[in-house]
Amino acid sequence: MSNTDQDLPQHALERLKGLRSQGHPGGIFTSDFSVNEFLLVRKAGFEPVGLCIGSCIYHVGIQYGSWSKNQELDVLSQAMYHARELAMTRMREEAADMGADGVVGVQLTVKRLAWDANVLEFVAIGTGVVHAEGSPAFKGPKGQPFTSDLSGQDFWTLLQAGYRPLEMVMGSCVYHVAHRGFMKTLGQAGQNVELTNFSQAMYDAREIAMERMQNEATEARAEGVVGVDLHEGNHVWEPHVIEFFAVGTAVVPISSEPSASKIPDPQLVLSVNS
Amino acid sequence: MSWLSWLTGGQTPAEAEQARLASEADARRLAEWETALQRGRLPGFVAERLQAASAGRTPWLTTMTAAELMLARSHGIRPIATVSGTCWFHYGYSWTKGHSAGWHAALSRLKLEAAAAGANAVVDVKMRRINLDIGESMDFTVLGTAVRFDGLPPSPDPVVATVPALEFARLLEAGIVPVGIGIGAHYEWLSRGGNLDGAGSFSNRPLTGLGNFWERVRRIAHAELRRDTAAQGNGVLAHTHFGQLFKIENDDAPGRYLGRHIVVGTIVDAPRRLPVPHGIEMVLDMNEAASPLSTASRHGHTAYDGVDQEGEI
Repeated sequence: MSNTDQDLPQHALERLKGLRSQGHPGGIFTSDFSVNEFLLVRKAGFEPVGLCIGSCIYHVGIQYGSWSKNQELDVLSQAMYHARELAMTRMREEAADMGADGVVGVQLTVKRLAWDANVLEFVAIGTGVVHAEGSPAFKGPKGQPFTSDLSGQDFWTLLQAGYRPLEMVMGSCVYHVAHRGFMKTLGQAGQNVELTNFSQAMYDAREIAMERMQNEATEARAEGVVGVDLHEGNHVWEPHVIEFFAVGTAVVPISSEPSASKIPDPQLVLSVNS
Repeated sequence: MSWLSWLTGGQTPAEAEQARLASEADARRLAEWETALQRGRLPGFVAERLQAASAGRTPWLTTMTAAELMLARSHGIRPIATVSGTCWFHYGYSWTKGHSAGWHAALSRLKLEAAAAGANAVVDVKMRRINLDIGESMDFTVLGTAVRFDGLPPSPDPVVATVPALEFARLLEAGIVPVGIGIGAHYEWLSRGGNLDGAGSFSNRPLTGLGNFWERVRRIAHAELRRDTAAQGNGVLAHTHFGQLFKIENDDAPGRYLGRHIVVGTIVDAPRRLPVPHGIEMVLDMNEAASPLSTASRHGHTAYDGVDQEGEI
């Protein structure tokens, strides 16, 4: 591995030393990469600089929907979105302070705190990386470090596919699912029927979350969003309240999209371990 | 507080007007959902979003990982949008049959979205349910990524594949097309008299009566799966089974038994004896811990993991 450094141009080495010494005296980097991730990130032409963390402890306001109405709960939606945004921004600021070009392997978690059900802790953790040859072409929107929840392996693969990450995009919607009235419940007793107002609530909430994520991607001038994950959570609210949370990495072609035939064909292997 | 602000709940007239407009827009959106669900079509704003993604006016969305994206691209498969279908179903006469009906309704809605996105297929379809305790009912949700194949026109009836894009491309290379999800469900009551479960007995003996009953329930569920499959393809892979056998005791009558079984699988259309167009390289994985090379990837139907709630039959 040390040979790789020897081959780097002098200006790149200087830049790297400078970047490392800002956040990490003595040139020591910290990272939660596994060995495989570390090797593949290096293979992709990047070096880890340091672990970047952003957190936000947030008091979630109280809001109740109408008993029998399907509706978005704006106060809760905004709280969940705002708190995650703050955690991510702080993580990105830490990355910028270290001089990182981006953050990979971001994990975004929500934890409930013991003393108050309405207090939630949002944490974003990832590894800040720099381009080993100092190329500025990998920064995210507005010259900020890019952010991505892709693992080290996926980061390498994405670059091989001809794309680079821009930023993690998300959409959140907290939604109240209406209760059924007594007469309606009675009318449906003994039948197999669809409860359309509940179906509609689920659809609408998910649609809103996806729309928001797509808007974020449009703002970041992405071509697409990879690794989209839709989480459904209830957190601490009453049983008829659910949060749809969509998260993924917005990506853009590195220069122009490579033709399909240029992408290497993987080989089939059979493990003889067992 | 002035009388005006008291009347408007402390809002300025402009704010009140804005709130009124927002509430009207919400009501319109909900009304549009209701009509759409009743008529088996998509609300205008959903169709619009999917068409915009299809035409490349908005970014594509995909559940694919980076590796899957790479393979999809090298095989001429382009992601368009994540699509979904939901049906919240109330069980009346049958919990078991309700599951079959609920999943089928959700799947047909997923296809509706995929068709609106001008897709040829939906890959990485997951069956999910959300844990909201709303008595005697359950939501059936299917989620996946609508994709288009370079050079193919949009399909009015897109293929639904539960396998991830990575495996979808591999299967296509081998001439096998995953085409949909097959579901078989059956329930039956057994109220024949006699000591069927050997209660009070000290000897070892097989419970033939109960065993035969349980076997029959399972066999009928599988027969239904085969019927469901025959309409779309010629095989089923990656089964998920879910079965329960209950005894319901009654003070003044002999106990009754309830058996129910649901089986779900990925339907494939697989011509026989087509060669796999790749050599296979033997490798020795030096990894001590679990490795993707030595463990099977987890995918497919997740909806029945850990289902243990009871429902009305």
